[in-house]
Amino acid sequence: MAKLILLLLKCILLCGTVYAVFEDQVGKFDWRQQYVGKVRFCHFDAHMQSSKKVLLATESNVFAALNTRTGEVLWRHVDKTGPEGNIDAFLQNGQDAVLVVGNGRFLRSWETNIGGLNWEAVLDSGSFQSACLIGQQGTVKNVAVLKKTAISLHYLSNGHQKWIENLPDSDTVDYQTVYSGGNSEVYVLGVVPHSHIAIVAFSGDDGEILQQSSVEAPWLSSIPESCQMVDQDLLICVDSTTMSLYTLDLKLQLQLNQIPLQSLELEVDPDFRPSLVSHQPNPAKQPRSEFFLQLAPDHYVLLQFNNGQLVVLRDFKPALLVSFATTGEKTVAAVMSPKNKTASSINLFNAETGRRLLDTTLIFTMDPNGGKPEKLNVQAFLKKDDSVGYRVMVQTKDHTLTFLQQPGRVLWTREEALSDVLTMEMVDLPLTGTQAELEGEFGKKTAIQDGLMSMVFKRLSSQLILLQAWVAHLWKLFYDARKPRSQVKNDISMENLSRDEFNLQKMMVMVTASGKLFGIDSKTGGILWKHYLENIPSNAAFKLMVQRTTAHFPHPPQCTLLIKDKDTGLASLHVFNPIYGKMSHVSPPALPQPILQSLMLPFMDQDYAKVLLLIDDQYKVSAFPSTKYVLQQLQEMASSIFFFLVDSNQGRLSGYRLRTDLSTEQIWEVALPTETQKIVSVKGKKPNEHVHSQGRVMGDRSVLYKYLNPNLLAVVTESTDLHQERSFVGIILIDGVTGRIIHEAVQRKARGPVHVVHSENWVVYEYWSTKSRRNEFSVIELYEGMELYNSTAFSSLDRPLVPQVLQQSYIFPSSISTMEATLTEKGITSRHLLIGLPSGGILSLPKMFLDPRRPEMASEQSREENLIPYAPELMIRTEWFVNYNQTVSRVRGIYTAPSGLESTCLVVAYGLDIYHTRVYPSKQFDVLKDDYDYMLISSVLLALFFATMISKRLAEVKLLNRAWR
Amino acid sequence: MASPGGQGGVLSTRGGGATRRMKWALELSLGNTRGRGDRQGGQGDVVYPIGFSEKPVPDTSIQETDKNLVEKRCWDVALGPLKQIPMNLFIMYMSGNTISIFPIMMVCMMAWRPIQALMSMSATFKLLESSSQQWLQGLVYLVGNLLGSALAIYKCQSMGLLPTHSSDWLAFIEPPQRMEIMGGGMVL
Repeated sequence: MAKLILLLLKCILLCGTVYAVFEDQVGKFDWRQQYVGKVRFCHFDAHMQSSKKVLLATESNVFAALNTRTGEVLWRHVDKTGPEGNIDAFLQNGQDAVLVVGNGRFLRSWETNIGGLNWEAVLDSGSFQSACLIGQQGTVKNVAVLKKTAISLHYLSNGHQKWIENLPDSDTVDYQTVYSGGNSEVYVLGVVPHSHIAIVAFSGDDGEILQQSSVEAPWLSSIPESCQMVDQDLLICVDSTTMSLYTLDLKLQLQLNQIPLQSLELEVDPDFRPSLVSHQPNPAKQPRSEFFLQLAPDHYVLLQFNNGQLVVLRDFKPALLVSFATTGEKTVAAVMSPKNKTASSINLFNAETGRRLLDTTLIFTMDPNGGKPEKLNVQAFLKKDDSVGYRVMVQTKDHTLTFLQQPGRVLWTREEALSDVLTMEMVDLPLTGTQAELEGEFGKKTAIQDGLMSMVFKRLSSQLILLQAWVAHLWKLFYDARKPRSQVKNDISMENLSRDEFNLQKMMVMVTASGKLFGIDSKTGGILWKHYLENIPSNAAFKLMVQRTTAHFPHPPQCTLLIKDKDTGLASLHVFNPIYGKMSHVSPPALPQPILQSLMLPFMDQDYAKVLLLIDDQYKVSAFPSTKYVLQQLQEMASSIFFFLVDSNQGRLSGYRLRTDLSTEQIWEVALPTETQKIVSVKGKKPNEHVHSQGRVMGDRSVLYKYLNPNLLAVVTESTDLHQERSFVGIILIDGVTGRIIHEAVQRKARGPVHVVHSENWVVYEYWSTKSRRNEFSVIELYEGMELYNSTAFSSLDRPLVPQVLQQSYIFPSSISTMEATLTEKGITSRHLLIGLPSGGILSLPKMFLDPRRPEMASEQSREENLIPYAPELMIRTEWFVNYNQTVSRVRGIYTAPSGLESTCLVVAYGLDIYHTRVYPSKQFDVLKDDYDYMLISSVLLALFFATMISKRLAEVKLLNRAWR
Repeated sequence: MASPGGQGGVLSTRGGGATRRMKWALELSLGNTRGRGDRQGGQGDVVYPIGFSEKPVPDTSIQETDKNLVEKRCWDVALGPLKQIPMNLFIMYMSGNTISIFPIMMVCMMAWRPIQALMSMSATFKLLESSSQQWLQGLVYLVGNLLGSALAIYKCQSMGLLPTHSSDWLAFIEPPQRMEIMGGGMVL
C-alpha cells in the first residue's frame, strides 16, 4: 500500500514538472548557431560545374560542407577532440573526400554530396607523415599513406590495403613526403638533416622497390618546408643561406642542380625564409611547371620551368597572398595585393604566361575590426564565353571566412572564432531615448533648482515625447499587421537597440580564444559588433568584468577585459563599451608587474564604475579607476577587503588582507601536498546571486536555517595517483576570509574530471566512480540549524558555530561536459541544474532531485515537505532537454543570467555551437500563457458588464412599477 | 324591514323605504349608522350609546406571566451563542483539517458570526433592556460569543492557518548584510 501511495506521489510530482516546448514554440525563444572552427584544409567541390559546396577540414577536428551561396552548413561531422580526432590530411577526388585522422590512425572516405561515410580503414600505428593520391593512366585509384617507417597503398573504392612496405633505413632517414606524378610510380622522399636526401621509388602495382638512392643536400632540414614538386618529377627546393634554388630530377637522380637566385635577378628579404607554392590540379597528371616563390612577406615571383630552364614570368610586389586555381584545362594564379589601408584587390593571371586576365579585379574590403588576410581559396569556373570567372574565400587571422564574388560583393561571412568562446557576460541593453529622457528628468538633482515653470515644461515635453513614441509604435503595429508574417522582420541594429519590457533581450559579450570580441543580440543571435584584438598570445588567460552597467545614464556602460600572457605573466586591460564595442575613452593603467588576480569591489567611484583591484606578483594592489575618491574609499574600507589566491602548481591556498597603504598581509595559508593531490578548481558564489528564503520549512513547520556564507569556497582536488584503487576526489569547503575549513569530503575510488556548481548553501559535484564504473553526483548542503546566529549581518570573523553538513550521492546514467545552475532575479524560483551532455543535449535537472534531505522511507513529515524518497538513480527524462533536437556540439560552458521576469532565466550554451534559450524552472507563474484566450475573457467580461447594466435598468423599472401599485 | 336602509340621514330623506315607514327620523350618531344597519339584520333596531366603539381596547395592564415570558426570551437571546457551540463542534469535527473550500467557508462563518455579534453588542443590549438580569445576560452573551470565536481560532490553529510558527515569518527575514568583501581565485 505504501508503495502504491509512493508511486502515486511520484506520478503527481512528475506531472507537475514537464518542461517541453510546443511545436509552434520551436525557435521562438531560442536559436542555435553552428560553427566549424578554424579552417585547416579547404577544397571547392569541383567535380560538377554547378556545385555549390566547399569542403572544410578544421583545427577543431570538424569536417564539414558549406553552401557557397549562403554560407550555411550543409553537413558536418564532429570528431573527437584532441589529437585522436585531429585531421592530418584531406585529399579530394571527384565525389570522394579522403581524410587521414588521428595521427594516421584512420583513413576515411566521405561521400561529399550528402556527407555519408563510404568506408573507414584502420591503419597500423605509426607517426603520420604525408598522404597523396596515386593516379594511373588518367584515373585515380589508390591513396598512399606515408608513416615514419612504412608506406601503404589503399584502394579508393573500398579502402582495402593494396600493399604495405617497410621503408629502408627508417631509423636514420626521416621520410617526409610521398609523391606520384601520375605514372603509377610512388616516390618517397626522406631527409637526413644537413646531410642528404633519400629517395625511394616504389612500383604502384605491387610495392616493389624500383629505385633507391641518396643525394647530397647538406643545407636541407625539412622537405615540406622548403621543397615542392613541379613539372615532370622535378623536385625544387629553396635555401635561404645559399640564396639559391635547387632542382632534382627524381627519375635521373644524379645530383642537385643549383640555380643562384642572383642569376634570376631576385633577392631574398633578409630574415625571411623563402618558400614555394606549386600546384598539381589532377593527381593523375604531373604538376604544373609554374610555381610561386615567396621572397619577402609581401613579395612573390611567378616562375616557370621551361625545358630545363627557369623563367621569371612575373614579379608581384606588393602581394599579400597568392593561390592557384584550375578549371577545365585552364590554370590561373590569383594574387592579392594591397590597394590602400582598408582594401586590397585580387587579380587573376594566366599561369602559363603570367599575363593579367581582363576584368578579373575583385576588391576585398578589410574589416577595420578584423584581422589581416591569411589564406586565399579560389573557386574558378568557366563562363559561357570560355573565359575564367572566379569567387574567392578569404581566411583572415581572426578566423573569419569571407566569400566574395566580383567585383567585391560579399556573399557571406562566417565568424569561426565563435567556435571557441572562452568567457562571456550578458549586459542589459540601454533604455530607449524616451525612457532615458524620463530617467534624466527625475534623476538630476539640479532639476529642483530650475524652478517650477521649467519643471512643468519639462514634464509636459517628456510626456509629449512619450505620446509620440506610443503613436509611432501603434502605427508600426498597424503597418506590420497588413504585411504577411514572413516579411515582418525584427531587424535589430545599433539604432533601435533598447531594453524590452521584461529585460529578456540582452547583449551577449563573448571573448574568443583568437582574441576577437563579439557583441551578440540575445534575441536573434545577430552579431552587432566585433572587435579583433591583435597580438593576443595563443595561451592567454582572459577575465571579463562588467564595471558599469547600463543603469547609470548618461555614463556609458563599461566592460573590462583582463588579458594575461601566461608565459610572461604580464597583463593588459582592454576597456570597452559592451553595447557598441567601442574602446572606452578611459585609458587603462599600464601594468608593468605580472598580475596574479583581479577583484571587483561592490562599491563604485563617483562615475558609478565599480572599482577593480589588481594584485601583482609582489602582492601589491593597484586600483582601476584610481581616482582620489576611490583611494580614499579604499583606505576606509581596507580592513574589510580580503582576497585569496590559489596556486595549483604549489598546492597552496592563501588569504590576504588589504592594508590602508594598498599593500597586503597574508593572514592564512592552507597547503595541500602536491605529491598526492592537485587542486583542479575553486568555485565561489556568484556575486549577483540572490537567495530569497533564508531557511527551509520542515514538516513540523519549524525552520531549518541555511548556512549562507558569501565567502565560502569549494576547492576540488584530484589525486595524482590515477590507479583505480587508490585514486580519489576531494572537496574542501573553506572560508575565504579566515581560511577556516568548514567541511572536507573525500570520495575514494573516484576520478575526475570533476564538475562543480556552488550556490546558495549547496555544492553539487560530479565525478567518475572507478569502483562502480559509473558517473555519480554528490550534493552537500550546509545548515545553521534551527536558530540563526546573527540574522542581520554575516561576518566570517564572528561565526563560532559549525554548520550542519548533509550529503547524498546519486548515480547518473551519462557523463557530462559542463554544469551550471539557473539564476533568477530575486531567487524565489526553484533552482535547476543545467547539464551539458556530450551527446549535445542540455538537461535541466531540478535541484529537488539532488537534495540530501531526501528520506529513505517516506514519512508524514517528509511528505509534508515535498521530499521525494531517496532513489540512487537519477533519471534522464527526455522532456527535461531544454534544446529538444537542437544538438549543441561540444558544450564547453553554460552561462546563465537573470531576466526581468522572476520566472525566467536566460541560458547560453557555448562550445563548437552557440545555443541560447530561456528556461522556466517553476514554469511561467508570472506570465499569461501564450495561448491565453483574450477574446473569450474580454467578451465574457463585456457581456457580463452589459448584462449587469441591463438588469439594473430592468430592476429599477420593476421597483418603480411596484411603488405605483 | 327588508329595505336596504342604513343610509345616512341625508340619504334617508330621499329613500323610498324610509318614507314608507315614517315621515322623518333623526339620527344622532352618524358614526354608528353603518353599524346599526349591520346589526339590523340580527338584533333589530339596537342603537349603541354615544361613544361606544366596537373595537376592543387593548389591555395595557402588566401581568406577572408576561414578565416571565420576557425574561425567558431574553435568556434565549443571551444563551444563543452558547447553544451554537456544540453544533459548531460537530461541524468542526466533520469538516476535518484539510484546507479546501468547504472547511475554509465553515471556519470563516464560524469566525465571522461571533465577531459580527460582538460588533452589534449595543443593539443586543437594547433588546435585553427590559430584562431585570440585563447585565448577567449581556455577560453570558459576551462569553458565548467569545467562546465561539475561540473555537474558530482553535479551528484555524488546527488547520494551520495561524502564523504561530517561525516558518510563517521566514519570508520576512532579510538577507544578512555582508561585512567583508572577498574575491580572488586561481592564479591566472
